[in-house]
Amino acid sequence: MRLRVLLAGLALALPLQAQELNIGLSTPVTTMDPHFHNLTPNNSIAKHIFETLVGQDDQQALKPGLAESWKALDDTTWEIKLRKNVRWHDGSPFTAEDVLATLKRIPNVPNSPASFAIYTRPIADAKATDPHTVVLQTRAPHPLLPNDLATIHIISAKMAGMGTPDYNSGKAVNGTGPYRFGEYVSGDRVVLVANDKYYGARPAFAKVRFRMITNSAARVAALLAGDVQMIEAVPTADIARLKKDARVALASTVSNRVIYLHMDSGRERNSPFVTDAAGKPMEANPLRDPRVRKAISKMIDRNAIASRIMEGEARPAGQFLPETFHGTSKRLSPEKYDPDGAKTLLAAAGYPGVFGLTLHTPNNRYINDEKIAQAVAQFLTRGGIPTKVDAMPSAVFFSRGSKLEFSFLLAGWGAGTGENSSPLRSLVATFDRSLGNGAANRGRFSDAGVDAMIHTALTTIDDTKRGLMLAAATDKALGELTGVIPLHYEVSTWGVKKGLAYKARVDQYTLAHEVRMTK
Amino acid sequence: MSAVLPATVPAPQTPFRRFLEEFFDSKLATLGFALLAAIVLVALFAPFIAPHNPYDLAKLDLMDSRLAPGEQGLGGASYVLGTDGQGRDMLSAILYGLRVSLYVGVVSGIIALTLGALTGVLAAYAGGRVEQFVMRVVDIQLGFPAILVALILLAVLGRGVDKIIIALVCVQWAYYARTARSAALVERGKEYIEAARGLGLSGTRIVLRHLLPNALPPLIVVGTVQVAHAIALEATLSFLGLGLPSTEPSLGLLIANGYEYLMSGRYWISFYPGLALLATILAINLVGDQLRDVLNPRLAK
Repeated sequence: MRLRVLLAGLALALPLQAQELNIGLSTPVTTMDPHFHNLTPNNSIAKHIFETLVGQDDQQALKPGLAESWKALDDTTWEIKLRKNVRWHDGSPFTAEDVLATLKRIPNVPNSPASFAIYTRPIADAKATDPHTVVLQTRAPHPLLPNDLATIHIISAKMAGMGTPDYNSGKAVNGTGPYRFGEYVSGDRVVLVANDKYYGARPAFAKVRFRMITNSAARVAALLAGDVQMIEAVPTADIARLKKDARVALASTVSNRVIYLHMDSGRERNSPFVTDAAGKPMEANPLRDPRVRKAISKMIDRNAIASRIMEGEARPAGQFLPETFHGTSKRLSPEKYDPDGAKTLLAAAGYPGVFGLTLHTPNNRYINDEKIAQAVAQFLTRGGIPTKVDAMPSAVFFSRGSKLEFSFLLAGWGAGTGENSSPLRSLVATFDRSLGNGAANRGRFSDAGVDAMIHTALTTIDDTKRGLMLAAATDKALGELTGVIPLHYEVSTWGVKKGLAYKARVDQYTLAHEVRMTK
Repeated sequence: MSAVLPATVPAPQTPFRRFLEEFFDSKLATLGFALLAAIVLVALFAPFIAPHNPYDLAKLDLMDSRLAPGEQGLGGASYVLGTDGQGRDMLSAILYGLRVSLYVGVVSGIIALTLGALTGVLAAYAGGRVEQFVMRVVDIQLGFPAILVALILLAVLGRGVDKIIIALVCVQWAYYARTARSAALVERGKEYIEAARGLGLSGTRIVLRHLLPNALPPLIVVGTVQVAHAIALEATLSFLGLGLPSTEPSLGLLIANGYEYLMSGRYWISFYPGLALLATILAINLVGDQLRDVLNPRLAK
């Protein structure tokens, strides 16, 4: 009897913590190493266990993370004040040493398929002036340092020597975040348990189980059947019906991810998938001509794709990021569907009905990726450029695309830093490994003017001026030269069981610690 | 006995006519044959029957996508079985899809039968080490699940009808080889082969002119079953996204495309191609079953 009273008293004293949350993920998580593979699904899991110095809210606005504050002492020196009394999951205190160890490890992760080193490269030197202050020295004025720091997960100095396999087995996973590592089975699930000693808000769930359910229909079925309480990437075909379903609630927002077409504007001749009208390889590369690229852009009815393929869950795009983001152009709007104008341009460029293309696309990475590619092929074929579609799993697609095996490809880019320099640097800046530029420039677009504008913008401290320069670079790269063809911004949608709520994030992260109970 | 009393038989009976009579004895088999004939005809003349050309991207209209059966599109075209997510007329797509399915099934069947029968009969005729070797290769081949072998092959070969056929031949020849060998083993022991040997005929001639034709009936039976298999396998591979390009969908790919829309109630994108696939395989199997009954002397009435 006394025991029962005691237990009841205990139950009352503890704040309510639900037992378990099951989440259906759309894309497999490839690693538990937060520095191995810069990929949205991986970063999303890492953000539960690890934290960054600078945090981002659901609109990617910067907020304090492991750093309480940061300020530029001069053009190239930054002082970062760390949060005190933060403890690692293993109990040891978090100090400046951990930050230094992290910065040292990031460029040296072996075999990293998409490295985080582009974010650490601007940093020339890092030192700790006291256990809770770090001073960073950049090579050149680098105003976007806080944005870059928002992508870097801090690991404990103790684990810095461990390799990726040790992270994948869980042995080296030691973070400061609201959830601790539980279990990771590649291609199947990730299990996290609440970190009850977390310095911030107490996690609402004792255990979170992420299940990788890549088939969209199966993911929806799992939500409706109650196997999972939350899913990401609700398929567009089901959104209208789920909106009417009282058992679930949807949260959606226009994301920072643009779906775009890249064209081979690098090779002067013999682009691998440019053919003549009969389907034979062609020597000339019409895609080098900006007029041809503009014509392709005009052939595509973006509203039709948004309404028919995406069922309204996309916004036609005229540039890399929606206008609300910093550094975007105020002049560019989605290219109007203008088949006649396209014909005129194509004729002016000297390529009326004389060449065909193959459009390569991943088929499991972006919302409806293969279907969008087919629709684009439809528009181009009707516009006089017979186009085939070749779809493949994203792992194959990205490795082949980065080896420049394609002439015309469909891909997407989410701006991790939350402003316009990220897509400009990665997609249209001239490819240069040492500068970390053009990492995803699979069409090898290159224009000295655009490069110069991006470079000046990146070293301009004043936010407003930098924004205007980035906008001008966008105007030139997209409006004038059509370096890539933006199609639309993805609308990302989450589905949760009634009784739960999630605030949709523009960066598409699915974060269990931001799931709230509504009753 | 009837051979001794020819006078009691009213009409002259050729073996072929007897075969036909026995075949059409079963109502089910007749139905299956009629269905199969109809499907083959429809597939052959698809370009003339189909209201649209589903492979011509320039003729598709995205604005007509996901229309329910019977609805009219913006341009005034009406779609009897609805349209898919790209605005493709389902009826036309199914007709063209049947064409691909039958073509792939029959061509891969014929090639596999030729290859398999030759190796099987050769193995049986040669005996010894050659036979051991060939049959162990067959055993190994049959040890792998067909779908797995085909998946790996297609991952290496890439896309296209020719590649699918190569993959299907690689998967299927072993079945024919095994059947051909057992049939040939039975025939090899018979007197007419010994007689042919006694006459001093060459090995090739004995195998091709005497052994092979007599080992053929069981191969034909296996062949019909395998063609149905090949069609189902091609559909499976297409469903998994391998094989044919997505702008030229076969039945399997049409089903896969529609699968995503099933939860939202647009059943027609998957349902009708599924029905067409079911009817084709059912018809071939009905015909195959009856062929087996008729060609098997032990089951003869």
